[in-house]
Amino acid sequence: MSLTRFLPTPSDRMGILWSLLAIEDCVILEYGPAGTTHFSMGLFGELGESQQNRLFTTHMSEDDVVMGDVSRLEKALVEIDRNFAPKVIFVVASSVAAVIGTDIKGVCSYMQEKVKARLIAFEQGGFRGDYSVGLLEAYKLLVQELPVEHPETKPDTVNLIGFSMGSYRALSDRWELEELLKRGFGLKIGACLCGETSIHAVEQMGGAAINLVLREEGLPAAQILEKRFGTPFFAGSPYGYQGTLDWLQKIGEMLGRPCNPELEAELRERINEAAQYKMYWMMLKEDCPKAALTGEYHTITGIAEFLGELGVPAENKICLHTLRGISNPDPSVRACASEKERLDILRGLHRQLILADDPSMSVCPSDNVFLRISMPVVRGGQVAKHLPLMGIRGADFLLETLEEYLQMLK
Amino acid sequence: MIDGNEILSQLKKLRDVTTSKDIRQLTYAMFPGTHCPLMGAAMAVRGIKDAVLLVVGTDECAYYTKHMTLYSDDFGGLGGRCVSAVLDTRDVTFGCKAKLDSAVAELVAEYKPRAVFVVTTCVVEVIGDDTDSMADAYTEQYGIPFLSVHTEHFKCENHLPGLERTITACFDLMQQCPPAGTVNLLGQRMGKFETTELSRILRDNGVKIGMQLPCGCTVDEIVTAASAKVNIVVNAIALPLAQKMREKFGTPYVFFDKYTDPDRILKTYETLFTALEMELPAEIKELYRKAKDAVAKAKPELQGVSYIYGNTPFDCLEFNQFMVKLGMVPQIIQTVSVEPERDQEYLTDILANADPYVTKTANIAPLQYVYDVLHPSLYLGHEYAPRLRKKGIAVVRSDAASGMLGFEITEFISRELVRASQEAKGYQKEVLA
Repeated sequence: MSLTRFLPTPSDRMGILWSLLAIEDCVILEYGPAGTTHFSMGLFGELGESQQNRLFTTHMSEDDVVMGDVSRLEKALVEIDRNFAPKVIFVVASSVAAVIGTDIKGVCSYMQEKVKARLIAFEQGGFRGDYSVGLLEAYKLLVQELPVEHPETKPDTVNLIGFSMGSYRALSDRWELEELLKRGFGLKIGACLCGETSIHAVEQMGGAAINLVLREEGLPAAQILEKRFGTPFFAGSPYGYQGTLDWLQKIGEMLGRPCNPELEAELRERINEAAQYKMYWMMLKEDCPKAALTGEYHTITGIAEFLGELGVPAENKICLHTLRGISNPDPSVRACASEKERLDILRGLHRQLILADDPSMSVCPSDNVFLRISMPVVRGGQVAKHLPLMGIRGADFLLETLEEYLQMLK
Repeated sequence: MIDGNEILSQLKKLRDVTTSKDIRQLTYAMFPGTHCPLMGAAMAVRGIKDAVLLVVGTDECAYYTKHMTLYSDDFGGLGGRCVSAVLDTRDVTFGCKAKLDSAVAELVAEYKPRAVFVVTTCVVEVIGDDTDSMADAYTEQYGIPFLSVHTEHFKCENHLPGLERTITACFDLMQQCPPAGTVNLLGQRMGKFETTELSRILRDNGVKIGMQLPCGCTVDEIVTAASAKVNIVVNAIALPLAQKMREKFGTPYVFFDKYTDPDRILKTYETLFTALEMELPAEIKELYRKAKDAVAKAKPELQGVSYIYGNTPFDCLEFNQFMVKLGMVPQIIQTVSVEPERDQEYLTDILANADPYVTKTANIAPLQYVYDVLHPSLYLGHEYAPRLRKKGIAVVRSDAASGMLGFEITEFISRELVRASQEAKGYQKEVLA
């Protein structure tokens, strides 16, 4: 089963690129054929990432491929350093550079003395796994290379690790988390790996009170920061009302300060209100509520838990990326070996609540109720930055679709 | 901050270009960079209605190609006829045949294609897998044509070779056929031929259009393309195919590019109707007169109007010659190819009046700093208009000409150049204010 009919899962290289593009004060230089860079513009634009004066390509000729000539990479580095004076230049290998074995790290090493910008190489090239592997590598390398030894201590600041611009409603989730942390504890977000952040913020990561790890691929980075700076970390994402309350309480415990009681009370009220759904299901005469979710591991497990609390079991949890970055994956989550395996499952679903990506939803029978919770987006686009899946507003939003599902069931 | 003067000092002027290799990039670090031939191949297969595009390459190449086709009715959108065999490390190490065998079996069973274009990308070419032989084997095994198209970008400049190779690959489908007296249209990349002046004139004079490759045909129409009396080639990407058809089937071709110069268009019409063994329709002379009038009207308005040439649907040097003859002043020409011997016809006129810098295309990031040195009035190509407005530069919008052929181009572009130059004057007042 080797045919890919729809969009393949983005590669590690793509995940690295969209992560780095989310960091200000740096430039990304791709060493490879120019067409890939040009082709990528559409996707990165859809993710809300500006590429102007941020992303460059060297292009590559046959001579470069055959002879291993890296002079155009060297010249491009000097040029970018002089023309844009970025704090950091990330040099990202293309698949061609990876296959021919270009020593990108070596080039960065000897070119470092010729430029003021810090040179950091990413040699993955698209062959080490899917984008989730790329995210893991990006988070890890960033915290290995950039945080300064003696950062300013900021007890009211937390870092977010495991954020991805490639996640559906990423910026909305960031906004919701910012609101929750501010309301709950008066906390501010320091660095966010990787979304709407800066090299300066990453450099100062060691000064934050705690690191919040939103997805497991961020754990190695958090462990590195714990080792280097003694910063404690907490892994988890706030999905659903109970999940959000637990998340806030855990942060409170770690900080040694209580969460804002008004916020806690609001959440408890929402939890009570949502508990009524279990009663609604008992009134059904023919149907039994069921959900199927496809998407990123942390999203589908988080939302599935929320649905479970409401009495809607998730019969299918299909992760769209590899589970390599997850230490003890939930055995009920499957990462299908092929696209066909996933499509065959989805084609057989009826009268379910389908929370998924557009391609997955497109093959499901129409007698289901649908909500998009994952990339890729094919129909329409993402504009709003205030419609999260996480937190209170995220749970409110999910309940609206649950209402629709309830209306459909008999 | 980029130094615009320094960038320019590293470029060659048109007079000094002796071969395309003399054309330099504005900078070594480019943005956005050229399109790749894989995209060109996808553009070509889009127009072959019952063929499937099978991309063989990395998940990234496959992703972007599919992404490009998502909103294309011609491709059929998400579930449409652009699919891929995505290679992983194992395939790169041991070869892609096993993966491709399996993907092809699924493809044939599910899509029942009339033909399959097996389009290889950079990595496949680097590892050297023989996809030509694999395609031949699939053709034999499944009884439908599999055509191998190579689209490695490190061997070419932009997406056009992808288009060229895809439509040239169609030659293998063609069979000797009894004459049908039609004309084939080869090489129309964008726009619909039906909307063009050339199409109307052919129709009005009873000439039937046969195969239109790649702007809309079926595999069966390609198979019987040799029945045509004449091939009309509307873009250089189709010249290799036309030459092959002439050699094998004796089908003559006429190169009817998107010319802007009315005298050249007239000559091309004359050549075409001679090939068709028909009298030149009287209407052509009237259209010629109107086109000449449009040029005469535009000329006083365009004297001394400076411009930077980026990218248009027209032949780069032919169009620049046209503009120079109108009294306009090229400051930079962006192109990937200038060969003085081949292009003598155009270069003589351009160099008699100007000597612009020449640089490669698709690197608009450093151009921002060049604008501040050269202060052109117009930019011809795709750029961010609001940003240029702040520098007193208007964008000449020529994409509409994708659906034009003949004297209508002269009239359209003459009007557009005048409109844009008037707009630039307004912008320049804004900048001064």
